[in-house]
Amino acid sequence: MEEIAGNELAIEKRDQAVLELADFDEVVRVYRPRILRFLLSSLTDRDAAETLTQECFLKAWNARAQFRGDSSLSTWLTRIAVNLMRDHLRSRSLRFWQKTRGDSLDVMDISDWVPDGRSSPEDITVARHRVAEVWKAVGELSAHQRSVFVLRFVEELELEEIAETLNMNLSTVKSHLYRALAVLRERMGGKE
Amino acid sequence: MKFRRETNTNPEKDSGREMREMAEAMSLYRSAMHHIAQKHAAAPFAAPERLAAEAKKRARAHRTRLVLVPALGAALAAAVIGPPIGHLHHEKATIARVVVEPAPVTTVAAVDDTELMNQIDSDLTQDVPDALAPLADLSSQSGSTNQSTEKTNASQK
Repeated sequence: MEEIAGNELAIEKRDQAVLELADFDEVVRVYRPRILRFLLSSLTDRDAAETLTQECFLKAWNARAQFRGDSSLSTWLTRIAVNLMRDHLRSRSLRFWQKTRGDSLDVMDISDWVPDGRSSPEDITVARHRVAEVWKAVGELSAHQRSVFVLRFVEELELEEIAETLNMNLSTVKSHLYRALAVLRERMGGKE
Repeated sequence: MKFRRETNTNPEKDSGREMREMAEAMSLYRSAMHHIAQKHAAAPFAAPERLAAEAKKRARAHRTRLVLVPALGAALAAAVIGPPIGHLHHEKATIARVVVEPAPVTTVAAVDDTELMNQIDSDLTQDVPDALAPLADLSSQSGSTNQSTEKTNASQK
């Protein structure tokens, strides 16, 4: 009985995802910030993130007929973004003369950002400094570690969802996350 | 750990503080990332249908380029490399002609040889020039005297 109910729920979810994809403008409106955020945090390159976000939705639009709803729309789109990012990083590593990544967070990007619960200029400056530190430390992670870290701590996905999105074993995800956190603790702690 | 202060005597408390700091830093990072993405996502975004049409157009243009570029390249290469090669061929042909040309000269020489031989033959058969005429007479006379002495000798015998 429970199994039947579970199957029905899965079918309903799938139909819902397929239905959701039918209104593509709405899909773009809802998921664009998320895909852009993931790519921006992973690549630390605004131009590349914007270009790949557009490419991601273009690919999704072209492949929308193949989407069967086996995974959620969000997971499907993130997987497309991950594949695009891997291709981008691979092609960029070939172009060895190009700068591999942005070293610093664009000041313009967080100049108007006010962290929650902080109102004094001093607090805001300290918060921005902390963000810049994490930004720099994240930039030193390997591509896999960074993807896992961003999906866990920026997108707040569960480990199982990360494994599904990145097409990895759960143990591999845990291992990448553990190493990423170790690197972050070392980098951020080393400065104090 | 590197960021653990040596003055601290309670490692558990220190670790707790450290974890709190890390969590806070990551929370700030998440908040900043959300802010940045939200700001950029507000910018106009081309509709996927239009993007798809543009991509198709780009792909078609790329295919055309793929066909046209080698063809134009070949034509250009032919235009650039062709004349010097043609010139080279022409030069080679001229050299060959120059090399071949002595053959008629040799035939002319052969003709001249035969003519010369004929001329020599005719000269030999010609009468002796005037300047040597007395000598010729003399030789003819001596020839006739020799003949007459032979005749008298024969009669005496």
